Amino acid sequence: MPFSFRFLEDVALADVAFEATGDSPSEVFQAAAQAMIETLADPQTVVAARCLTITREDEDLAALLFDWLSEIVYVKDAQGVVFREAVPVVRQEHGRWRLDATLVGAPVDPAAQELRADVKGVTKHLYELKQDGTRWTARVVLDI
Amino acid sequence: MKLNTDMAVTRIADEVWEIPPSEKPGMLVPARIYATERILETMDRGVFDQVTNVACLPGIRRYALCMPDGHWGYGFPIGGVAAFDTGEGVISPGGVGYDVNCGMRLIRTDLALADVQPRLEPLMTELFRKVPAGVGSTGFVRVTRREFEDVMRKGARWCVEKGYGWHEDLARIEESGCIAGADPSKVSDHAVERGINQLGTLGSGNHYLEVQVVSSDRIFDPQVAATLGITGHDQIVVMVHCGSRGFGHQVASDYLKVFEKAMRRYGITVRDQQLACAPFRSPEGQDYFAAMNCAANSAFANRQVITHQIREAFAAVFGKSAEELGMHLVYDVAHNIAKVERYPEGELVVHRKGSTRAFGPGRPELPEIYRATGQPVICGGSMETGSYLLVGTERAMQETFGSTMHGSGRTMSRAQAKRSVRGEQLQRDMRQRGILVKAVSMSGLAEEAGFAYKNISDVVETVDRAGITKKVAELRPIGNIKG
Repeated sequence: MPFSFRFLEDVALADVAFEATGDSPSEVFQAAAQAMIETLADPQTVVAARCLTITREDEDLAALLFDWLSEIVYVKDAQGVVFREAVPVVRQEHGRWRLDATLVGAPVDPAAQELRADVKGVTKHLYELKQDGTRWTARVVLDI
Repeated sequence: MKLNTDMAVTRIADEVWEIPPSEKPGMLVPARIYATERILETMDRGVFDQVTNVACLPGIRRYALCMPDGHWGYGFPIGGVAAFDTGEGVISPGGVGYDVNCGMRLIRTDLALADVQPRLEPLMTELFRKVPAGVGSTGFVRVTRREFEDVMRKGARWCVEKGYGWHEDLARIEESGCIAGADPSKVSDHAVERGINQLGTLGSGNHYLEVQVVSSDRIFDPQVAATLGITGHDQIVVMVHCGSRGFGHQVASDYLKVFEKAMRRYGITVRDQQLACAPFRSPEGQDYFAAMNCAANSAFANRQVITHQIREAFAAVFGKSAEELGMHLVYDVAHNIAKVERYPEGELVVHRKGSTRAFGPGRPELPEIYRATGQPVICGGSMETGSYLLVGTERAMQETFGSTMHGSGRTMSRAQAKRSVRGEQLQRDMRQRGILVKAVSMSGLAEEAGFAYKNISDVVETVDRAGITKKVAELRPIGNIKG
């Protein structure tokens, strides 16, 4: 089964919650990033004008996912961009998890892009990353 | 009465309900909720769970409180108030909220509805152009890193020094728009990089700029209203709701991480990760307080720059200076903040999250002009229903650490609101009802539809009858800008 995500209702009344799934850490990281990207803007309306690389390490995979999503929020504000897609590769090296990712997007342009909600951050409320067999699932609540 | 909790909730006054410490292991003080029976019944389970979790935090004094606009939040409920001893107690980013010093500002004018109605369209267009909103928006003020540190230290005072405001504005802002103890060295580079280009921007979500009208028949206390510059006769006023944007959120996120580790060191356990806290007097607690004050000052500066832009927009559209249009600031209040205040118990760090300071008459913290009336309290409703101006009371000082409600409180999820109405349709419907809306995001507009919120009048009536704030005037929207 490929990666996917769905928005969850009534988890956070004033904010946005989603569940992301994938068959590997890389896929669940990609699904979660795509949920974040679609919360910010319709990716179909964002051209591939910029490509950024992000590298992170952590001994805890859930902490690494939290950092990854937080980094997307940071880049959005610090560089004034929204995104078309994210391609993360997650692998384990010497007992630590390593993320090498590319973020593709463009400077914010309300005339050309369908902008949605301005995500302020990732929260720890009900935050979870779990593995069931080969399937990985993350639950994330974003502060709007 | 059917409540969303199994805990015992006892009525102790017409609008005050109490949950005793016996209802949850670890509660150090009772929890108190201000609500009518009807509002209490609509409160979600999170309010009861969270206000009693707060009552378990070390050093809490008197009660953990929740206002009638209360609903579930991260750690603390929105509408939550809690005061901790500065010696034995804690400070918690969850008790402040992610958007540090999210707050309300009200600007009066000498204009009447009849003056503005014919030019409402160009006015809203000019405001929409001058006050950026929505995802990734950046302000016109460009500052260097060193200048941004000055913003963190000086808040609205920095803006007035740079010409973005009037000297008289400062007296009409909580803490004169500049909270002491802000230390930029306690703020991360990430926070600075997120905030440095956002001065003078609204953001999105429930933040807005609104042009409103005050009818004479909706003034409840004409004498107090007159002192506040509110004269009625279809007077035009402008309300702003926004905070410290990405900067404040990054400060909160950074210190939640720090506190998670610090709690282990200090042997503190909490019922919810989002209640992460540290002793107020610990190095971590003091660092967060210094960083939070930087974010609070940047929020005062943000609303001050927006005020400058609003004055410029009105001057451009009406061909008169902002001074000639009588565009004085009524007041600016924070509703997400922690502050050190003195009460009979001693020096306390009062957390207000979705709650407004409501100091009563005579308090030395109030400017001379408002010392007899009590502090102005600005409560924003949904963009369809209107807002209120109130004043603080002596009773608030006695019962709620000088605190009251902040808004109407959400009752419907964003997704459900979007399913119920399309942004374009809502915009057309509101225009027909005389409210002109400009929005960056149509889906964001639908999420903020009036039916997604509690009726603000019910909430205001509750605090008015409870005596912790008194109604002064109701403000009806005619134009709204949303992110």
